[in-house]
Formats: sequence, C-alpha cells, structure tokens
Amino acid sequence: MNETAKAPARRGMALKTRNALVGISFILPNFIGFLVFVLIPVVFSFVLAFMDWDGFNAMTFAGFENFVEIFKDRIFRQSLSQTFIYTFFNVLISAAAALGLAIILNAKLRGTTFFRSAIFFPYVASVVAVGAVWKAMFMRNGGPINLFLQFVGVAEEHLPGWLSSTDWALAGVIVVSIWKNMGYFMVIYLAAMQNIPATLYEAAEIDGARKWQQFWRITFPMLTPSHFFVLMMLTINSFKTFDLIFALTEGGPGTATTLLSMYIYKESFAYWHYGKASAAAMILFLIVGTITILQFRVEKKFDDFM
Amino acid sequence: MRFKRFTAVFVACILACSLLAGCGGGASSAPAASTPAAGSTPSGGDAAPEQVTIQVATWDYSSNPSVSNAVAAFETAHPEIKVEVIDIPSADYNTKLSVMLNGGDGLDAFFIKDASSTFDLYTKGQLLDLTDYIAADNIDMAGYNGTDTPFNIEGRQYGMPVRTDYYVLYYNKDIFDAAKVDYPSNDMTWDEFEELAIQLTGDGKYGAHFHTWQACVENWGVQDGKNTIMDYETGYDFFKPYYDMAVRLQDAGAIQDFGELQSGNIHYSGAFASGNVAMMPMGTWYIATIAESMKKGEANLSAWGVATLPHPADVPAGYTVGATTPLVINPSSAKQDAAWEFVKFMSSVDSAMEYAKVGAIPGRLNDEILAQIAALDGMPEGLAEALKVTNIVPDRPIVADVTEVNDMLGQEHSLIMLGELSVDEGLAEMAERAGEILGK
Amino acid sequence: MVQKNNKAARAAQYILLVVLTITTLLPLIWMLSASLKLSTEVFTSPIRWIPETFHWENYAQIWQKVDFGRFTWNSAKLTVLVTLIQLLTCSFAAYGFTKCRFPGRDTLFLGYVATIAIPWQIFMLPQYLMMNKMHLVDSHLGYVLLSSFAAFGVFLLRQFFLGIPNELLEAARIDGLSEYGIYFRIVLPLAKPAMATLAIFTFVNVWNDFMGPMIYFNTESNKTVPLGIRMFVGQYSTDYQLIMAASVLSLIPVLVMYIFCQKYFVQGVATSGLKG
Repeated sequence: MNETAKAPARRGMALKTRNALVGISFILPNFIGFLVFVLIPVVFSFVLAFMDWDGFNAMTFAGFENFVEIFKDRIFRQSLSQTFIYTFFNVLISAAAALGLAIILNAKLRGTTFFRSAIFFPYVASVVAVGAVWKAMFMRNGGPINLFLQFVGVAEEHLPGWLSSTDWALAGVIVVSIWKNMGYFMVIYLAAMQNIPATLYEAAEIDGARKWQQFWRITFPMLTPSHFFVLMMLTINSFKTFDLIFALTEGGPGTATTLLSMYIYKESFAYWHYGKASAAAMILFLIVGTITILQFRVEKKFDDFM
Repeated sequence: MRFKRFTAVFVACILACSLLAGCGGGASSAPAASTPAAGSTPSGGDAAPEQVTIQVATWDYSSNPSVSNAVAAFETAHPEIKVEVIDIPSADYNTKLSVMLNGGDGLDAFFIKDASSTFDLYTKGQLLDLTDYIAADNIDMAGYNGTDTPFNIEGRQYGMPVRTDYYVLYYNKDIFDAAKVDYPSNDMTWDEFEELAIQLTGDGKYGAHFHTWQACVENWGVQDGKNTIMDYETGYDFFKPYYDMAVRLQDAGAIQDFGELQSGNIHYSGAFASGNVAMMPMGTWYIATIAESMKKGEANLSAWGVATLPHPADVPAGYTVGATTPLVINPSSAKQDAAWEFVKFMSSVDSAMEYAKVGAIPGRLNDEILAQIAALDGMPEGLAEALKVTNIVPDRPIVADVTEVNDMLGQEHSLIMLGELSVDEGLAEMAERAGEILGK
Repeated sequence: MVQKNNKAARAAQYILLVVLTITTLLPLIWMLSASLKLSTEVFTSPIRWIPETFHWENYAQIWQKVDFGRFTWNSAKLTVLVTLIQLLTCSFAAYGFTKCRFPGRDTLFLGYVATIAIPWQIFMLPQYLMMNKMHLVDSHLGYVLLSSFAAFGVFLLRQFFLGIPNELLEAARIDGLSEYGIYFRIVLPLAKPAMATLAIFTFVNVWNDFMGPMIYFNTESNKTVPLGIRMFVGQYSTDYQLIMAASVLSLIPVLVMYIFCQKYFVQGVATSGLKG
C-alpha cells in the first residue's frame, strides 16, 4: 500500500468506530434494561434445561436426562404435534384474514373508524371474559355457531361438540385465536400501508394496471417487512399460546388442546419439574429459532432486491 | 469484529452464572436476608414499636368470611401481632404461592389449598416442623378428630387443620314431595342412590347431578378407604362401579350430560338452584352458598335438605370423602413464634366458633360445632345429623407425584364421561399413564 | 359504466364489512347482555340475548366488591408509564438496528428476537429471584422496569424502519444532519403509524396483563384491573355477570386509546407518499 491510500483508510476506520459508537448509543438505553430484566433470566433458564431443580433447593447437573425424559413423555409428544397443527392453521388463516381486512379497511369508506374498531375489539377484551363468552358461542345445543351450521343445512347429529369433543376442540381454539388476533395483525398491515408511496400507484394507474394487479405488484411486495413480522409473530405467538387455552379448555378434553406452553406451565408450576419444563422450552426455542433464521435469510434476499 | 459479539455473550454468561450461584444457595441464605425488609416495611409508624407484622397467604379472602372473621378475632386477642393477608385469586393460588416460597419472599404462614401438594412442600423443605410447638403449648390433638393425621409425616406434625370439608348429599325437597317419595336417608348405598335417581327422573327433572370434576365420580371409589388414587396396579378397578353408574345415569338422562355441562359452563350451584335437580353429592362448602341464595330468593326451589353421602355396600353409613385445609409456617420466616401464635389460634376452638358462625366446618370438628352450624338461620332440618360422619377419607393421599396423577385422572375422566372412551378403555389408559408417571 | 361498476363494488364492500363486523361483535353483544343478568341466567341454553330484566346494579356491585377505582388508577398509571418508556427506548434501539452499522448488530438483534420465543413461564422464576434480591417485588417500579424492555417493540419498529428508504437518510447525512438529528427530524415523523401501532399494543398488553401483576403484586393497594376481574372467579363459584360487567368497563379506556391512535392510519395512500 502506498502513502496516499493509507490516510483515507485510517480516516475510514475512525469513521467506522464513530458510527459504531453512535449506533450503540441508540441501542444502549433499551439494551441495559433488556439485558438485566430479560436476557439474563433467559440465559439462566437455558442452563436449567441441563439441571435437575425443584425451584427451591440446590440444583444438580442432569446432562441430557431432561430431554430424554420429555421425549419419553407421551403428553409432550402429543402436545408437540398438536402445537404444530395449531400453529400451521392459526398462522395461515390469521395472516390471510388480517391482510384481507387491512385491504378492505384501507379504502376510503365512510365509517372505517367504526369498522376498524369493531374488528380490533376482540384483541382488547380480557381473556377471562373471552373464555366464558366463547364457551357460550360454542354450546352444542343453542350456541350461535351451531345454530348457524344448522341453518346452512348441517344435520343435528353432525353438529360438532366443539370444546367438548376431542376431534373439534383444537379447531375451536383456532377459531377463537383467529377471532381474537386478526384485528391486531390487521393494524400492523394498515400501519405499513401508510408507508407505501402514493407515486407508485399513480405510475401504475398511468400504465393501466388494474386494482388487483396493483395489489400483487405494489402493495404485496411493498409490505414484505410486515409479512415477515406478521408471520413470525404469529408463529411465535402460536407456539406460546397459553392464556387463551387456559381460559377455554385448560388443555382438555383429555389432552386434546394441550399445547407445548401448557405442558411447560404444568411441568414448572404444577409439578415443579423446572428442568423438564426448561428442556421443553429449549425444544420450542430451537423450533422457533430455526423458523426465524430461515425467515431472516429470505428477508435478507428481499432486502437486497429492494 | 467478532470480538464485540464474544464480549456480549461472555458478559451475559458471567451475569447468568453469578445469578445461578446466588440461587443455588438461595434456599438457605436468601430468605433470611430478605424477610426483614419485606416484613418490617408495613408495620411503619402507626403501631407500637413492639408490634410484629406477619404475612399470611390465603385465597378468596374477601368472599371467605370464615377466614377474615377468625383473623379479626386473632388480632383482637393478640394486639401485639398484626396480620397482613396476601389475598391471591384461588385459581392461581398454587402458582403464586410456589413462586413466593421459591423466590425467598418474606411469607410467614400460609394455607395449603390442595392438601395433596403438602408432600411436595414437605420434600422441598418448605414446611416448618410444628411438633415442638405443639408439645410446648400442650395442644390437644385428639380434638381434631383425625383431620390432623394427613399432615403428620413420619411422626412429625407439619400443618394444623383449620377447615375441613367433606361430601354430603344435597336434595331438593320439592321434587321429592311432588313425586311422593321419602327424602334420602343418612344411610343409603350408592345402588339405592342410583335407583332413587332413576325414579325421580322425568318431567324435565334430573334425578341427580354430578358436577364435571373427577372427584364427583372417583371419590366414591376411594370412599371405603381401601384404595387411593395412586393404586394403579389394580387397574383402577375400584373406580369401575362408579363410572359404570355415572355412565348409566347419563345414558338414562338421569343426570345432565357431561358435554352439556362442560360446554355450557354450567356450575353445580346454578344447576341445583335452578330447581331441576333432585339430588346432588357435593362438598360441605356449598352449605353456606345455598343457604345464602335461598335467603336472597335467587334459588328456584322452596326447600332443600342435606343427607349423609351414600356409601359403598361394604362400609357402614358415615364414611365420606373430604379434604382438610391446613395452615403451615414457612421455615424461612424470621417470625416463627408470632406465626405459631397465629396458627395456634386459627386451629383453636375460638377460631372454630368463628368458622361455624358462617356455616364453614372447622378442622376442630365435634358435635357441638356441628350443632351450632345446624342452628344457623336458614339451615335445613336434620343438618346436624347428616353432617355427623364416622370416617372422612382424604380424597387424595399425601405422597409424591399425586398432583400429576390427579391431573391425569381428570383428563381421562372427561374422556370417559364424554363417551370418547369406554369405561374399561378409560380405566386401562389411566393405569397405563399412572404407571408411566410413577414408574420413572 | 366505470361509475356503475364502482358503485356496485362499493356496495359489495359495505355488505361484506357489515357481515364481518356483526360476526366479530356477536361475542361482545353476548358479553354486554351477560353483564346485565343474574348469575344464574348467564349460561342458559338456548341463549337469551336480551336479559329478562336489566340488572344495572351489577355495574355498581363491582365497585363495592373490590376496590375497582384504585385498580383502575393503578392500571392506568402502569400502562401509561410502560407505553411511554417503550416508545422512547424501542424506537431508539430500532433505529440503531436498522440505520446504523456496527459490528455484532445482527447477532445482537437475533438475541433480542430469540427472547421473544421463550415462554415467560420458563424465565419467570429466575426473574423473580432477581427482582426479590433487588427489593423490587410488590412495587410498581419493579413492574414498570420488567415490562418496559420487552424485545417485541424493538422488533416491530425495526420492521417498519426497514421500509424507510436509505436514500432519504443519505440525503440528510450529506446535508450535514447528525444521526440523532435524522432520527428526530426524519425518521420519527415518518414512523408515526408504526409508533401508534406499538403504543396500542403496549397499552393493550399492559392493561390486560394478568400474570405479571398476579405474580409481582401482593398488597391490595398495588393491584390492577385484571386482578380485580379475577377476584370474581372464586374457588367454588364464579360471578360471571360481574366478570362481564368489569370486562365491559375495562374495554372502554383501551378503545378510546385505539380510536385516538388509529387516526394515524387514516391518511390513506394518497397523502403519505414520501415526496422527498
């Protein structure tokens, strides 16, 4: 390297350090709180997965024993597969519903405020109340849902028992989950739609693109960061769903709606097997982590493309 | 620039490890350090300096006059001790309690909600041995009529019975009168109960009502005291007669369908108060509730009665199933003497009177107390006789893993009652799963 | 022709919306109706949508049975504090994660996201042990500190900030604005819909949070509305009519907040273009 090239390089280094410091200064206020109140306890819980601990007395090292034990546990295996089913349907339907609602409610219609609030309302309602309300909605005889099914021609003996049937309970929980959360994700889409430059649509209009073409060519791709966010939050939330199930079915009938989070809750707080619970949480974390990293990879690609 | 990343991970690990180290020793050292801080703050300036404040955990405090009246009586009798009650929603009591105890909170005494969790608390060392206190104060343990024995582990007493509840049979006199059938007697077998239930069914009335809890079937299987819910090696054959009965009654429409009860969120108090149910086996805690709603005119029946719980054919009348609520002391409490004064009072005759006054059955159970409950305003005739029982079998034994087995039984119970499994399939699955839980 | 088509489309849209809204609101209507019933009337089959007699006294009773006024004040205080701290620190951090470059940035961010995937039940006990050592249990300060630094907010805002074109910031840098200047003058105004979104979510989550206050608050005077609602769920009986009445009341502040915030989403595509 010659003299002339060295100087800008050094200046570049200084600038880089300075930029890094500025960047870190942005993150620091949040990071300190995050580190102390969230990250440290989380790291601690990782350690627990390899320990035998009743939550009170000294812990002993258990190696991979907790993992062996949970995979031997039929309830764990069942809850794992049920969690996947639940997540799959919940994520896809909720995301589609949220996007659809956002598109309809982004149009300039009279009364959008009212409609948006109405759709958002379920998200706001307290879970204790929601549990009771939906039990009434799902009543086998005389519940509004089955009345509707009867109205569209389902024979009485084929009416689902919803929350009191092992075949339908998970579907019932998914219905409530979609109802409760679609407004939330609709809001994310709505907010993101405000960031799409109007000039893009104007240009498309000039090119003679139809509305649905505009949607696929402009709105949908421009919402990419939001798609990632929505899909990921839905995935994570589905894997973590707890309150709703607790209020609706407590994991029953039998264990038909016992999801991973319910299993973890029972193992830690009812049976005091913190090691087992942490091991199950690790499995959950690995699954969600894999999905997350995959999504990040794809997002990066899109990012470069944009 | 890998360096930064590693530093971050490294720092996080160090911090986690230091926390870990703090927790390992937490059982012995942390509580001692934290109690004074938690305990001394509330006593503040308003009271005399020698006043001690103890923290006591209980549930549904505002709707449980028995506890609040007894606490008030204690504070009058012991002005030097102030009781700070931590009221926890009942559904979350066990969760919150375990977090408080494990977290080294300054809790001095607490009630145990599910007597079956006593054993877990015992093995974790979260129960103070009260034997010496009992000896020093010459407590007459015979006065508890056996409600204290479940909390005696390996010869040491860890809890004092404060309240006890056991199953009795509630009945709607209107339905019996209309059918011109004699009221249920205090000596009736389950077979006779079933017959009576079928007989009284019809005309929109149900002969009986079994609430959705597994206790409302399985308890009758352990009522004779010969088996406990942990005896899975038998294939749970002792549950079979009662599941068969429950399924027969359900098929005959003599009890409301389990699925309907569950999906409709139908509470037993609502079911009984609706006036459509002739007989309902339920715990004694319901006495105060039904008396209250009769007084308020909310119940759709004109007269109710109580009989002793029906019994299996192989044991005499007077056998019933129940559970006792004990009060215990946290071993890491810094004010154990004050806490003992409180525990002693709450399990004493004085406190028993306060409980009886509001229709709750105290652990110090005797005929005089029962007579007092029966004499309360709005209680039905013959209540004292019906409440006299000879043997209260604990619904769940105090041994390891009972909570897990009990949860499992609850899951299988719902499958049997929903008709998803036959009785035999259900019992077989129960035995298999119990084996998995207990076999490890 | 085009006009006619538009009208038909608009009508179809309205019909669809009305049907959707009614379906969504049906449970709310049930809730309202249950809040005006006797406890024995709440669960009847078939459902009675209009109560026989309106028991307005249920709404009075919740104030007598629990200290609902105090709980509301506590909930409001905590919710506002946490929301403000989150908005400030999360938007700051999100800017750092999207628009600044420094080593380890993406790894750190992954660490943030990873914690979202850990169920709270798992790290709750370690967290509690720690809080207890810091004497922050049973205090509002402790709760605010716990709830203010969740990774969710950073993640949400980061995804929004990704959508802000880098050219815009480059231009500002060339104009001599510092990073802080860019954050306050350019990013923050553009991020209004995103900030409103985070505000709503934080508000709703803290307002409805049950587990956190349940675990961390012991004293009656510290408790919040969800704990108050839970007090109607007893060991042997549950006052559903009171739960419904309290839930209906506790909906109001959040809906007000929502309506206030959602005006940031109504600008519509026509007005929010980045004309830079």
